[in-house]
Amino acid sequence: MAPLELIIELVLMPLVAFIVGLMMVLMMRRIAAKLQRRVGPPFFQPLYDIVKLHGKRTQVSHGMIHDIGIVMAMGGYIAAETLLPVPGMNGIAEKGGIITLLYLMMIPSLGLALGVGQCANPNGSIGIARALTAMLAYDIPLVIVVFGVAYAAGTTNLVEIIATQQAGGFETWGAVQMPLLAIAGLIAMHASLGKQPFEIYIAPAEIATGPMVEMGGKYLGGLFVMQSFQLYTTSVLYVSLFLGGGTTWFDFLLKSFLVLAIPVSIAYLFPRYRTEDLLRLMWKWPVMLGLIGIAFVM
Amino acid sequence: MSSIKQIPVIEEKRTNPLARVFDELVRFCRSRSLFLLHYCTGCGAIELPPAMTSRFDMERLGIQPMVSPRQADILLITGYVSIKTLKRVILTYEQMGSPKYVIGICSCTVNGGMYWQSYATAKKLDEYMPVDLYIAGCMPRPEAVIEGLQQLMQRIKTGEAKGWEDYYRNYDYYLGNQQKLFGNDWQTPTDVITEAKHYDLLGEGTLGEHTALLEQHQQPLEALEMRLGHQVKEPAE
Repeated sequence: MAPLELIIELVLMPLVAFIVGLMMVLMMRRIAAKLQRRVGPPFFQPLYDIVKLHGKRTQVSHGMIHDIGIVMAMGGYIAAETLLPVPGMNGIAEKGGIITLLYLMMIPSLGLALGVGQCANPNGSIGIARALTAMLAYDIPLVIVVFGVAYAAGTTNLVEIIATQQAGGFETWGAVQMPLLAIAGLIAMHASLGKQPFEIYIAPAEIATGPMVEMGGKYLGGLFVMQSFQLYTTSVLYVSLFLGGGTTWFDFLLKSFLVLAIPVSIAYLFPRYRTEDLLRLMWKWPVMLGLIGIAFVM
Repeated sequence: MSSIKQIPVIEEKRTNPLARVFDELVRFCRSRSLFLLHYCTGCGAIELPPAMTSRFDMERLGIQPMVSPRQADILLITGYVSIKTLKRVILTYEQMGSPKYVIGICSCTVNGGMYWQSYATAKKLDEYMPVDLYIAGCMPRPEAVIEGLQQLMQRIKTGEAKGWEDYYRNYDYYLGNQQKLFGNDWQTPTDVITEAKHYDLLGEGTLGEHTALLEQHQQPLEALEMRLGHQVKEPAE
């Protein structure tokens, strides 16, 4: 591949991810509104929020690590986008593989932990402790699921996994071949989004949005950007692993929005679990389903 | 100052024509995305849930509730402010990031309402912090609250809602009123004067006799002690 072409792809992929992510945030808020019988926000609302937050006059920083933490939180996802193949663009996905992608998806939580640590707000510390506990809870089923898919495909190369699924048609999709892994993956993905009932680290009524409590202005704006990347990354990873990626932009976007709509629709119907309940649930059901799924694959 | 109309609007100096377009965009986004911190002190709070939920749905205007002062744009004070409460309201207000707007809901914030004769309530909210909008009524219905918020959105879009600048430019006036109520050794953790200098918002009324009094009593802020676990206090010998 020509270097210029690669550079264009590396710039375009996060940009596309950001725009699609903003629309996913909008979809999430619209679904919440529909479930609560409200009208919901206007089309450009996620963009208004981000522009306004970056346009605040006074920005309260708590120090250098606070600044770097937010950059890490966004940067981890921006790097992850270049490893996620989209129709027509592969970026560096062939060289990276799923394992690198999983590592990169952990960086935002760690960056947030660094940044929140310097704020010295007790609510933030509790929130980030819960966020890291939640990460421990959902990463184990996620790793089992990814291992199962990679074992079945015989490769950790995401491009090849997608190509095999597309070549064989609907019968070779991950969700058809490995339904148990697909269900386990869906639960793990729901938990990784941090939405109800797994919303333990945001918990506005209890610990005042946890990690976000001291974030205002561009710091909160950065986290809003991070959220849109997070929604995109999680749903596209799921689509690539189980639903055969996308041959065209239309079915790619359709699949990723539909996949995201499942956890989001469930989310706004449920209250919140406690931390130990989340751990118990995550380490019991998705892990069990995932292990049985792996047994079938082997 | 004491009346909303008197707050002077000072235009930002811009020479680049593109900056004007950018300002316009930012002002528009500010008006369409308002995060609300509701400080519910009195009975007016009961009118907010219907304004936010399915009956009237504030989110269609881009207004959503937030839980911490750092994230919020609007400080909504719903009801009477007692002297103890007012201290907390001022601490909250100073922690918010500018541009910030204050809305006083109910008659109590306008003139004390039915607590006029009470010794323990602050009568007029705008003596202690610049109020951008009052929504009068006892209590105002959700329609009135949303109507008021739409007026505020209009004022933000045109750039008139600059109450927060007034707090920096006339800090002496507000601090004087606060000192009258809380005593001369009143001090908040936020250093407003330094902030005003940093953001180039120093006005004629920023420094005065009351800020001089503050400097006499001011104690340097110390970082909170960091320790793990429960510590038993040693008995004094």
